[in-house]
Amino acid sequence: MMDVGRHPRIKLMAYSEIEHVSGFIGNFHVKVRKKARYVDESECTACNDCVKDCPVIVPDEYQQGLSSRKAIYIQLPQAVPSAYLIDMENCLGNNPIACGKCLDACEKKCIDFDMQDEIVNLEIGTIIVSTGMDVYDPTEMDEFGYRSFENVITSMEFERLICASGPTEGHFVRPTDHKLPKKIAFIQCVGSRSEKLGRNYCSNICCMNTIKDTLLLADHYPEVESKVFYIDIRAFGKGFEDLYMRSKESGVNYIRGIPGDVWEDPETKSLNLSVEDTTNGKVRIHEADMVVLSVGVEPRKDMKPLQQLLTLSSNADGFLLESHPKLKPVDSPTRGIFYAGCVESPKDVKDSVTQASAAASRASIILNAGKVTIEAITAVMDPDKCNFCGVCSRVCPYHAIEPADKKSGTYPNIIQAACAGCGTCAAECTMDAISMRHFTDAQMISQIDSILERNPMEKVVAFACNWCSYAGGDLAGTCRVQYPTNIQLIRTMCSGRVDEKFVIHAFKKGAPIVLVSGCHFSDCHYISAVQWTQRRVEKLWNRLERLGIRPERLQLEWISAAEGQRFGRVMRAIEEMRQKVTEEEVKETIEILKKEEEKERAKKVKREAALQPAAAV
Amino acid sequence: MAETGTFKCLRCGHEYEDKYTPKVPQERSCPKCGSNSVRRIGPK
Repeated sequence: MMDVGRHPRIKLMAYSEIEHVSGFIGNFHVKVRKKARYVDESECTACNDCVKDCPVIVPDEYQQGLSSRKAIYIQLPQAVPSAYLIDMENCLGNNPIACGKCLDACEKKCIDFDMQDEIVNLEIGTIIVSTGMDVYDPTEMDEFGYRSFENVITSMEFERLICASGPTEGHFVRPTDHKLPKKIAFIQCVGSRSEKLGRNYCSNICCMNTIKDTLLLADHYPEVESKVFYIDIRAFGKGFEDLYMRSKESGVNYIRGIPGDVWEDPETKSLNLSVEDTTNGKVRIHEADMVVLSVGVEPRKDMKPLQQLLTLSSNADGFLLESHPKLKPVDSPTRGIFYAGCVESPKDVKDSVTQASAAASRASIILNAGKVTIEAITAVMDPDKCNFCGVCSRVCPYHAIEPADKKSGTYPNIIQAACAGCGTCAAECTMDAISMRHFTDAQMISQIDSILERNPMEKVVAFACNWCSYAGGDLAGTCRVQYPTNIQLIRTMCSGRVDEKFVIHAFKKGAPIVLVSGCHFSDCHYISAVQWTQRRVEKLWNRLERLGIRPERLQLEWISAAEGQRFGRVMRAIEEMRQKVTEEEVKETIEILKKEEEKERAKKVKREAALQPAAAV
Repeated sequence: MAETGTFKCLRCGHEYEDKYTPKVPQERSCPKCGSNSVRRIGPK
């Protein structure tokens, strides 16, 4: 961090928040609120004189509330810049000045109560998101008695207790009597791998963190007896298994089973843990002077606003979704934005540094090149057809379309560098003013025509998105999963490209069943495009029902690239549905749609005729 | 604000009640057959 702070080409903006981001790769405009520290960071030498005189005492967040800090403080000992700031919520000295002791104590006169937040506008080429993670608060897990019993602490609190810069200066003591505990129990997977809590994911770091903690205890306090209660130990990294073995050899007792209940002896404040050892099925009561809950990692609570600012998507667990899990693991779906660290998934220091290096490298490639090569699958606008409705810019998940303005006659502008090619704008545009390169309406319609040219009654037209459903079909193939061959796939980059008119056209051409298939909501490679697919299909179901066509004939399925088996199952089920559609029903559908088309045409002619005199005037 | 509505699976015909937030698309799957062709057919 010191190197970063001193680097001539790195501008470090600590204690700042991003307020607005606009633009696109190579041309991001970022508005940053540099919060007032009330201390001039260029002058402050961190001499500590102000702290000595500050009368306010509040819990220290960095020390997990195990010690206190003053209202003027430095957030952590290693903070860069090493300068103080005033916590104005707790300070007594502001408006009206009731205290002002720090002002008197500061010889360099770097305290300024009139300091204001500063807005800084930056022109940025690429962005790396590395906002870190939060840890799980185990208060809701009553069985472990966190908050009820003082000697039940979290792994983060343990970390502070054993750290030399912690509240006890590294002397490990029990909170109730400030004596060295003789028996310690570590409980693993607290807030991880739990369906009950809706946290199915493994937090990745907790097993090795506990192993490290047990080794620290064994080295510093050989007389302390450690027990680790676990579901299974995941020591998968380089040298991790050796550490695990060393921990076992040092006498740490690993018991496979998670305590069902923890209760306290009111006199000694020691704890009892009821655990079923799943290796032998026996339930035993274990005693401990202290319990450490190995808490899981979770996405930061303020992730959502950041996600919206940067047009990013998250997976079901709330971590940010990468552009491609294997081929672009540090790229976000929005070009020019990269990830580093736990913002993308729980990871340890080594993996975070690896990812950060990769992200820096990816970003600098773009900056050094000064230009970017994009896929030619982008949207193009025909201004002659545009009616300024603004739908295209509203539905674009990447904010790649600058909105139209009817008053000034400005047409929507598609920023090619920002367009990812999902095709949602083209599908939503009722005027057909937007066309997708390589996936034009004409190309899509001719694929439908080609499928239904012969024996349409035997065919199912299936639209499948490139990244998930189509790849799921590929996996089904490579896994030798059998599915009916009369289900014919039309690949689109995203299910968002599937226009209403494609579905209607397929029914007009005699398709018994049409399937629209895309990514699961949490896997969408185009941020929120899949949500527009669902809206459109729901609208189509209503339209079909209104026309007297069974909505069941339009199917919607979310299939991921890993769901080859599901792909096969869905296709077999859809084939069964197709067999139940009669020829009469299909003929009737064709008639209904023809009539509707005629009605629409007549309406259009009437509308145009009504506009003629006005145009003449 | 979440509301309760009746949903129908367009593959197996199963009808069930579930919570939904108006105008907020949500991934749904039929509790009986697992299909995503689930349509809201009316309020509770």
